Amino acid sequence: MKIKRDNPDDEIPTSSMADIAFLLIIYFMVTTTFTATRGLDFALPEDDDNPPVVEKEESVLIEIMPDGSLVVDQQSMLLPNVIDYLKPKLDVNPKKPVIIRPDPASPYKHMVAVLDELRQATDKGIKEEIRISIPTQREIESFWY
Amino acid sequence: MKLKAEKQHEGSIPTASMADIAFLLIIFFMLTITFEVDKTQVILPKTTIRVEIPKKAAYVSLTEGGQIKVSNGEELSASVPGPEDVFSFAAGVVGSNPGKEFVLKADSNSSYRDVDAIIDALKRAKVRIIYLLSNQQTVDDVG
Repeated sequence: MKIKRDNPDDEIPTSSMADIAFLLIIYFMVTTTFTATRGLDFALPEDDDNPPVVEKEESVLIEIMPDGSLVVDQQSMLLPNVIDYLKPKLDVNPKKPVIIRPDPASPYKHMVAVLDELRQATDKGIKEEIRISIPTQREIESFWY
Repeated sequence: MKLKAEKQHEGSIPTASMADIAFLLIIFFMLTITFEVDKTQVILPKTTIRVEIPKKAAYVSLTEGGQIKVSNGEELSASVPGPEDVFSFAAGVVGSNPGKEFVLKADSNSSYRDVDAIIDALKRAKVRIIYLLSNQQTVDDVG
C-alpha cells in the first residue's frame, strides 16, 4: 500500500513577533517615569576656618521669614522688587556680596525662589553676576557678629 | 473583440517589516533609558534657571518629613539617620573623586533647618558644586 506523505513547508511562525514587540514597547512606555535632570547650580565656597571678613555695611542682607516674606536690609520687600533695590547698589559696586539668610523654620522653596531671582539678575539689567552667599547656621554662629 | 477578464488581486497591507520597526523602537528605548538612582517621591521647587545636571552625580534626597537618602550616583539610594552621616558619605565620595558634583533633591516644603544641615555637611566635606534639583517654572506658576 502506498502511503501518502504530507510534505509541509518548514518555517518558523513569525506572525506573532510583531505582537510581542509591540507589547514590549507598550510595557516600556507605561513603566517609564520622566525624571527631572536639571536644577539650579550653586558653587559652594571652600570651608575655611578663617573666612575673609566682610563688613556688614558692604553687603546686602536678604532675610527670609518663616512665612516666606522677605526683609532686605531691615526693610520688608516683595521678591519682584529685590532686583530693582539691588541695581543702584550694584551699579556702584558690582562686587557687593548679597547674603541670603533663610529662617530655619522657613520652607526650602523660599530660599530657592530668592536664589533663582538673583541668578536672573543679568537678564534684568544688572551687568555682572551677583556674588551670592548663603551661610549655614554653623557659619552664622561662628562668624556672624 | 473579446477582452480577457482582468485577474482579481487580493488586497493586503505589507506587514513583514512591522516587527523590524518595533524591535528598532525597543532598541532605541533600551539605549536611551537612564536608570534613576534615587526614587524618593518629593515635590520639587520650581525655578526659571535650570542647568543640566551631570550624569553620575551623587544624590542627597530629603523628604518633607526630614528623611534623608544618599547615593553615589551609581548605586541605588539608601537611607541615612542624619546630616552627620551625609558628611561621612560625602567625605568618602569626595576623597575618591574630588570634583564630584552633588545633587540636592529636597522637597519644596521641607524645613530649611534640615536643608541647612545637609548643605553644611557637604561644605565641610569639601564638595565644590551642588545642584538644587528643580522643575521648570511656568508663567502659570508665577500667576
